[in-house]
Formats: sequence, structure tokens, C-alpha cells
Amino acid sequence: MSLEDPTKPELDAGETTEGVDYDALESLLGEYAIGRESHVNAEAFVVRPDEVQAALELLRAEAGFDHCSCVTAQEYEDRYESIYHLRKYDDPTQEVGVVVPTSRDDPVSESANEVYRTADWHEREAYDLVGIEYDDHPDLRRILLPETWQGHPLSLDYDQEQPQVVEFSEHANPLKEDHSGDAESDTMFLNIGPHHPATHGVLHLKTTLDGEQIADVESDIGYLHRCEEQICQNGTYRHQIMPYPDRWDYISAGILNEWAYARAAEDMADIDVPEYAQVIRTMSAEMCRIASHMLALATFALDIYGDFTAIFMYAMKDREIMQNLLEDLTGQRLMFNYLRLGGVAWDLPEPREDFFEQTRDFLDELPEKLEEYHNMITSNEIFQLRCVNTGVLGPDVAKSYGATGPVARGSGVDYDIRRDDPYGYYDELDWDVVTEQGCDNYSRVLVRMREVEESAKIIDQCVDLLEEWPEEERTIQSNVPRTLKPEADTEIYRSVEGAKGELGIYMRADGTDKPARFKIRSPCFSNLQTLPEMSQGEYIPDLIASLGSLDIVLGEVDR
Amino acid sequence: MTFTETISGLLPIAGPISDFIGGAVASLIIVSFLMSLVAVSGIWGKRKITAAFTDRIAVNRHGPFGLLIIVADAVRLLSKELIVPEGVDRPAWDLGPLVMASSALLGFAVIPMGTLFGLNLQVADPQAGLAYVFATASIASVGLVMAGYSSNNKYSMLGGLRAVAQNLAYEIPLVVTGVSVVLFAGSLQLSEIVAQQGQTLVSLGGVAIPSWYAFVNPFAFLLFMVANLAEVGRNPFDVPEAPTEIVAGWQTEYSSVYFVLCYLSEFIHIFLGGAIIATIFLGGPAGPFLPGFVWMVIKILAVYLFTQWARSAIPRVRIDQLIEIGWKGMLVLSFANLVLTAVIVGVIA
Repeated sequence: MSLEDPTKPELDAGETTEGVDYDALESLLGEYAIGRESHVNAEAFVVRPDEVQAALELLRAEAGFDHCSCVTAQEYEDRYESIYHLRKYDDPTQEVGVVVPTSRDDPVSESANEVYRTADWHEREAYDLVGIEYDDHPDLRRILLPETWQGHPLSLDYDQEQPQVVEFSEHANPLKEDHSGDAESDTMFLNIGPHHPATHGVLHLKTTLDGEQIADVESDIGYLHRCEEQICQNGTYRHQIMPYPDRWDYISAGILNEWAYARAAEDMADIDVPEYAQVIRTMSAEMCRIASHMLALATFALDIYGDFTAIFMYAMKDREIMQNLLEDLTGQRLMFNYLRLGGVAWDLPEPREDFFEQTRDFLDELPEKLEEYHNMITSNEIFQLRCVNTGVLGPDVAKSYGATGPVARGSGVDYDIRRDDPYGYYDELDWDVVTEQGCDNYSRVLVRMREVEESAKIIDQCVDLLEEWPEEERTIQSNVPRTLKPEADTEIYRSVEGAKGELGIYMRADGTDKPARFKIRSPCFSNLQTLPEMSQGEYIPDLIASLGSLDIVLGEVDR
Repeated sequence: MTFTETISGLLPIAGPISDFIGGAVASLIIVSFLMSLVAVSGIWGKRKITAAFTDRIAVNRHGPFGLLIIVADAVRLLSKELIVPEGVDRPAWDLGPLVMASSALLGFAVIPMGTLFGLNLQVADPQAGLAYVFATASIASVGLVMAGYSSNNKYSMLGGLRAVAQNLAYEIPLVVTGVSVVLFAGSLQLSEIVAQQGQTLVSLGGVAIPSWYAFVNPFAFLLFMVANLAEVGRNPFDVPEAPTEIVAGWQTEYSSVYFVLCYLSEFIHIFLGGAIIATIFLGGPAGPFLPGFVWMVIKILAVYLFTQWARSAIPRVRIDQLIEIGWKGMLVLSFANLVLTAVIVGVIA
């Protein structure tokens, strides 16, 4: 951790060797801070809606909070509230919240887009779903719902029964002649998606081309919006929410997602997890990561090589092995629903020896397989020609957009929640965070391939531990009350390192057995925002490659 | 004696009419053969080959080795609705696939396909055979432009433009490398080029190595193989179609029978490329034991296998890189090869 790093020259304002000194932060903010709240994860300062930019800029520049992890919007009986969850890329355990209340009559608050570029999409989502308007926002449109949608579905007075009948003719017609503006211009407008071989789901890229070069690209998302947040708000903490995380990043990263909810809920309700269950969680989560990275590699190869590449099938075959192991463990192939609050659903499959043996077999064969992948992919000169120095995303731009996961690490941002804000059994194990300094498509692929090795190291150590675990101490779940009712107004924001990056969950309790607000911070959502930065001025094939290297899952972007 | 002359010799009449009938019958036989070759290797073989490269099994439920998939596919493709998008430029859109398919078939008119049961299966053997083959093969570019421009689809247009840029950049190295072979053979006539390759290059332990131009000038052979990949649009040069980038390029809007024509023309082009390579570099139909015709087909399929291999294993280059490789690399190398060949031939002769 950076705090223990003796080379770190000086501490940011409001930072002590112990962590964040919130009193110092309060005095730094001075009269911007008109109140203070206590969230489970961090203290939060209340800021006037017209002083958001100034307060955030102070926290970013003076106190080093360079990562706007998430923006949560919610409506109370008497007010609207936007919460900016800030962290540091150097040390994500140092957190602070900025709470911006606005009146119900005139819910206008200043946009944070000037300070954190990532706020652009987050605030659009807040506007779309909750109905808060952001002053000074460059482009305040709906983002997940169609532009013709009536009302804001997560606001309190929204009528769920109201039919949303919208004539087809009222939608913007993407084919109409002059929608790209100037008829004299020599650029060409091209819709890439929502049905296109390379968008990896239903993503719509509104692309303006100058010849074959990208003059501008804008992502149109929301085709796969399934109201996941609202569904979770209607489920009880104890059992009814856990199946849904599997459906966010549905590309075999299920357990990683489940862990995000498990971590947030366990910290909120103060539930202990037995160590044995933590080891199983760590192992199965890393299996998911391998499966997910294998698929990322496979589809990236499709984007670069074309439809009939051998690499796709090779990677799918290796992913299949992981998938079979996970099926043995959880009983499911994709929607695992394996984690429970306070542990896991059941113990390792019997006979345990077979499971360990199969896992070991995979781990033993892995180095050879990776060698082959490196021979076929990363050391191929044409592949390098295509990927080196294309889709460049500088570290500062990546941070400003809130990029995390392999995308950030491919840009040299050394940020991994597993190490920096440890959970599970990770801090007991020996493994490394992989970073690459190239900032290009090539680096991002390389990071994923090397992370597979690291995950294998973790699994190997977990298997060792599990094999020797004394039989009488194999507790898979702690005692958790049948009904969980966290105290009213408990608020928490917690994240884990998902396959795609920082997967965070904000929850607010209202004293019932269901969360009053459930907000998902999707890593893909933030990562996808960087696409225009990467691809402007490059060619269509580079745009496709960059999109592939971001490794987005639309289920998680749209939720 | 060419195939045409053999057949017209069988007719009771003589003169231009019998030549015409002879030519028509001969072409019909060759074209029918090519169609069945496409059906087997394009529909069934391609699946099996790609599956072998990518660790799969592919069709195995329709008849022996899944061979009846050919029938199933034919029925499927022909019974599909032909969707004509709004605003397509009708005559050009209809003609595009026809031009492409027929240009490749035209090329086969002069290819010496070897002998089978004493019959020489070459439809015609003009003096300028090689020039004729290159000329007909490049007519396909016109078809690509027609298809791309008339489809009223931006992906098609991008694909069409890419196809033209690519064909221009690689046609020249292809022809120039072909000319270096002509310098060796001293003739454009394909039968003559094949005959020249029948001489013994060296004798190793009693085995005579024929002077195939692939052995005589391997550098030219390599250049030609690469340029041919670009010519038929296979990896690393499949940019005109580039699925995952521009959907299916120039053929995005074609469905049903027109799609079959596009597909067919692609395969016949690959076979024509293979036939040209076999004829001018691999001794044409020459080979031990088996009839010449069989050898010719084996050589064509070997080149086809090579294109499929490339497709499974090599990444696609970007359009600007493709043009760069073509104009800055291949063109220079092919001219260097031509000059070198000219000097060598001049010194030896």
C-alpha cells in the first residue's frame, strides 16, 4: 500500500499516516461544507448545490481525491440528493463522500463534469432515472431510457402503472438525411450497432467518419437496461438480491459480482464471514476472473483476426474448463448464485479430491497454454502492428474518466481493490498486481493475459489451503439473522475488484428488510466513457479494436 | 489439341458453328466441374478445414462425414427470401454478383487443367493466355465497385472502396511477378509455360526435380502467394469484407441467391488464383502416377487450404497498412524481382 511506501514524498491535505483526517478535510473545505454525515465507509460532507465544482476541485487538487468512483442520486420525502463517492487511486481506502441536497421543487445542482470527466455519464444517469438536473452539464440527456420516456422511474412519485406508449415516429430516426447537421460537410455519419458483429452486445456507436477516420464517436447505451437497481430495491437483503448480480456482468464473472453485494451488505449489517468460506470465495472468484479474461481474449482476437480465427475457439475451450469447475462447485454454469451473506451456499463438491485434482490439472497446463497464446497473439507482428500505439489512453485521462480494472492498469495506473482495499483472503496470499505502461490496446490485452497467471497463482494457494483445512473447521456460513433490517439511514458504498474493474455498490437502509436505494457502480460504464478519447482520429478498425480492448459487457453497462 | 477442338472434331459438321458448339460444350463441362468443386470444398470442405484449424468437429450428422450438408445448404440458400433493400441502384446491384462470378469463370477458359483419359481439358490456348487470365480476373473489381456503390449502404460503400484500393495496390505486383515468369518461359501461352517447367532442374540421387518456377525463383513464388491472398481477399488482407469492422463490406445487402453468387464468385476466385499459381509456378498438371487433371485439382486445393490456414491464424491488417504494404513493399519487391530475373535470363541466355 502506498501509505507504507517510504518513497512517498508528502501527504495530501487532510491525510495522515492513519488514513483520512476528516476534521482537517472539513477545515480545508471551510464554508463549502455546510454539514457532515457519517456513512459506514467514510465521512461525507454536505455541500450547497451551487458550490459543487469548487468543493470537488478543492478535494481533488488539494486533498488528492483523484477518483470519482460513483455518483449516486436519490430522492427523499423532502429533498433530492446527489452523492459523489470520492477515492484516491493511490489508496482507495481513503474515501470521502460529497452530499449535494437539492430541493424537491427545483432539483438543480451544479455539474461535476468540469472536475471529473466521468461525472458526465453518471449525472446523465441520475437525471434519467431520478430526475435531478445538473447545471453546467455539457449534454444533459437521458442515457439509459429512450429520449421519449415520461417521468423518472426511481423518483418517489413515479407512476409504475403509467403506460409508456410512444409512437415509433416520435423517436429520432437515425436514417434521416440531415441529422448529422451540415449538408455541406464532407464527413459521413455511420451507425455502428446496435446490431453489429463487433459491439459485443447491443451497443450503438454514433460515428462520424472523415474518410475511414473517426472524427467523432458517441456511445448510445441503454438497450439492455433491465432496472436492476429497482429490482434490488424490491428484494430483501437476506436472499432476494443475491441472484441478480450474476446478471450484471453475465460473462462468467458471476461470483465476482455477487461478492460486491455480499461485501457491501455484510459490512452494512456487520456480518462475519468464516475464514474457510473466504478462501472458497477467493478461489471461485478468481476462477470467474480467468473465465472472463479468456472470453475477453477470445473476442478481442475476433475483432483483430476476423470471424474464423482459431484463437477464439482455443480460448473458449480453456474457458470451458473453468466453466466446468464452477459448475461442479456451484451447480450452475453462468448464474451461479453461490455466495450467501455470511458465507457461501455449500461446501466444495464431493469427492473433494477430484475437484482439487481437476483444478490442479488446469493450473498445471496453464503456463503451456499461455505460451501458445503469446506465440499466436502477442508475438505476432501483424497483431503488434494493429495494437501497439492504437487506442491510446493516457493515465491522467484514464483517472479522470474513472477507468479501473485492466483498462486502468494497461495505462499504468497501479490500482487494484483486491490489494489496495483488501477483502476476502487476498491479503494473506502471494500474488502481484499487473500493470503495463503502454496505454494502448496491446497493453490492455497483455494485462489480461498476465492477470490470468496471477489468478492461477491465487487459485493454487487457495487449493493448498482448502486441502489442508481441518474437517471440523469447515464452516461455510456464519449465523445470520433470518431477516436483516439494518438501522434506518445507514449508508454504505463498497466495492470489489470485478473482472472489468471496480464494481461498487451503494446502499441506504430505511429500517425495513429492503434497501431504500441500491446503486450499482459498474466498471464497464465508466470504462466505456473513454472510447471517444481513444479512437478519435484513428481508423474504424482501431475503433473496433479499442472497443474490444475495453472488454465491456452491456449487461453491466446498462444494468 | 484443346478440349474445344477435340469436341468439335467429334461433330459431323465443320467450321465456325462446330467451333462454337465445341467451345460451349467444353466450357459447360469445365464450369460444371468447378461448381461441384465449390459445392464440395466451399460448403463442406471449408467447414471441415476451419473446424480442424480451430479444434472443432463441424458437420457430422448429415450423411457420411456430414457430406449431405451440401444438399441442405443448397436448399436453405435457394429457398431464402431475396431481400432487395430500398433505394438500391437496380441494374448495377443485380449485375454486380454476376460480373464477379463470371469474370472468375472466364479465367478458367485458358487454364490447362491437365489430361484425363487422354483428353486435354484446356478449353482454349491463346498465345496471350497469361495476359488474358489476369485481365479477366481483374474484371471482378468492377463487380465489387458495382455491388458496393449500388447497395445504398454505407458499409457496402466502404467495403467497395476498400476492395478497389486493395485490388489496385495488389494487381500490379501480381502481374509484374507474373511477367518475371514469362521472362523465364519466353511465352505468354499457358501450355508453353507448363511445358517449360517439365525440364529437369537438378537430379538428386536419381530423382529428377522438375524446373518448376517455384523452385527456380522461390522469391517470385512467395511474392505471388502473398499478392494472391490480397487478390482473393483472405487474411491478412480480408479488409474489403472485414466482418467485425464493416459487417460484410460490399456484400452486406445481398441475400438468398445473390448471396450465393457472391459466395460462389469468392470461391471461384480462390480456385482461379490457385490455378494460376499451379500453372505458372507448380508445373501445372505435372506430377507422378496420377492423371494430370487430378494433380491440377490437388494443387488448386492446396492453395485453397493455404488461404484457409491464413484465415484461421493471421490477423487482419488495417486498410492504411494494407495500402502501405502494397505500394511501398510489394510493388518495389516485385519490380526488383523482375529486373533481377531479366538480368539473370539475359546473362544465361
